[in-house]
Amino acid sequence: MTTSVQPAASGQMAGRPSSSGLADVIDTILDKGLVIDAYVRVSLVGIEILTVDARVVVASVDTYLRFAEAANRLDLAESEEGLTDVLAKTKGGGADKAKELVEGVVDTAGDKLRELTDKPRAAAEEPEVTVEREPRQAPRKRPRALREEG
Amino acid sequence: MGRSKVSEASVPKQPTRKVQNLASYVYGVVPADLKSPPETEGLGDPAGKVRLVRHGEIAALVSDINADEPLGRPGDFLAHERLLDATAAKVPVLPFRFGGVVANADAVVAELLEPHHDEFIAALRELEGKAEFIIRGRYVERAVLAEILAENAEAESLRQAIRGRPEELTRDERIRLGEIISAGIEAKRDFDTQQLLDRLSGHYEMAVVREPTHEHDAVHVAMLARTSEQGRLEDTLTMFGERWEGRVDLRLLGPLAPYDFVVTDQQEV
Repeated sequence: MTTSVQPAASGQMAGRPSSSGLADVIDTILDKGLVIDAYVRVSLVGIEILTVDARVVVASVDTYLRFAEAANRLDLAESEEGLTDVLAKTKGGGADKAKELVEGVVDTAGDKLRELTDKPRAAAEEPEVTVEREPRQAPRKRPRALREEG
Repeated sequence: MGRSKVSEASVPKQPTRKVQNLASYVYGVVPADLKSPPETEGLGDPAGKVRLVRHGEIAALVSDINADEPLGRPGDFLAHERLLDATAAKVPVLPFRFGGVVANADAVVAELLEPHHDEFIAALRELEGKAEFIIRGRYVERAVLAEILAENAEAESLRQAIRGRPEELTRDERIRLGEIISAGIEAKRDFDTQQLLDRLSGHYEMAVVREPTHEHDAVHVAMLARTSEQGRLEDTLTMFGERWEGRVDLRLLGPLAPYDFVVTDQQEV
């Protein structure tokens, strides 16, 4: 679905929200690009530690348990026909829905961003800034963390 | 990030001096014939005004920042990327990693543009007419779990085994089930990524398969492509988007600055 082909820049940056959510941006600009070798030291708000290593997904027991729970939830939430439904839905589908979903994605990114931007500066030191969270993730008891480093 | 040098920013405060300790934040390097920077704001608070510092055939995109203020709020990241991406839509640009600051505009020339003039020019020529595009796909959890359970009998029976039973009593089964799912997603990711790359071949110059940054990542690829190929990239991805409807959320970002295709020579200090 989501053919969200979103020509980001093309001179129309002003009016539209950028297609890049904060998470995309962080994936990109913190560990890629040229490095200045003669630079003035400016402190970065607690972010740098999280950059390269932390963003790599490492499968761990924690991850496994989470996946298993997701499978379990899937089962509880859906009857057996429900599951078939899900499978059936993986094929076909309408453009409208795709569009809706694209917008959903964009909205979510926007909300997240707003939420982050509104936080006072000190709050930016929370590592959570760089962690992408799935909106649909149920508030399970796992330690507040869909922290990807597991 | 990078090497640190002795800080010039932390000169002891002199009471008579200006309160602000200004420095030049560097976003990237462009050909000097760019007349003016894009109309996006720089980072910092208040937002710095972006300008061009020229030297020979190249110019640096810079804005003043207060070197005593920490950087790294979400708005700073976005400002950095927006400026570079807006620039990349017009001219070739060498993007700098977030956080590059030099003492002042003179230092931008003396320490950055002048010593690297020729190599920057060469890189910019290579990038002429090209930009980066990022393709990101995220599996829809329910759909991918359903696929894996349908394809793997062991997973399905483990799922039955843990059904309705507390985690403490089914830990081993859960770990095994999670392991199968994790491996299943990884295999699907490799397969789907390869499929997409094969299908797009001819429409890009170079591609980098990025590390997944989320466990549901289906595709995470950066491509350097001619901007004239953008339409065809979009068409092909639209096709994949339709094929993967309900299974993978697919997004194309770009044109972007070629973050994944510029490298810094790490030898001399």
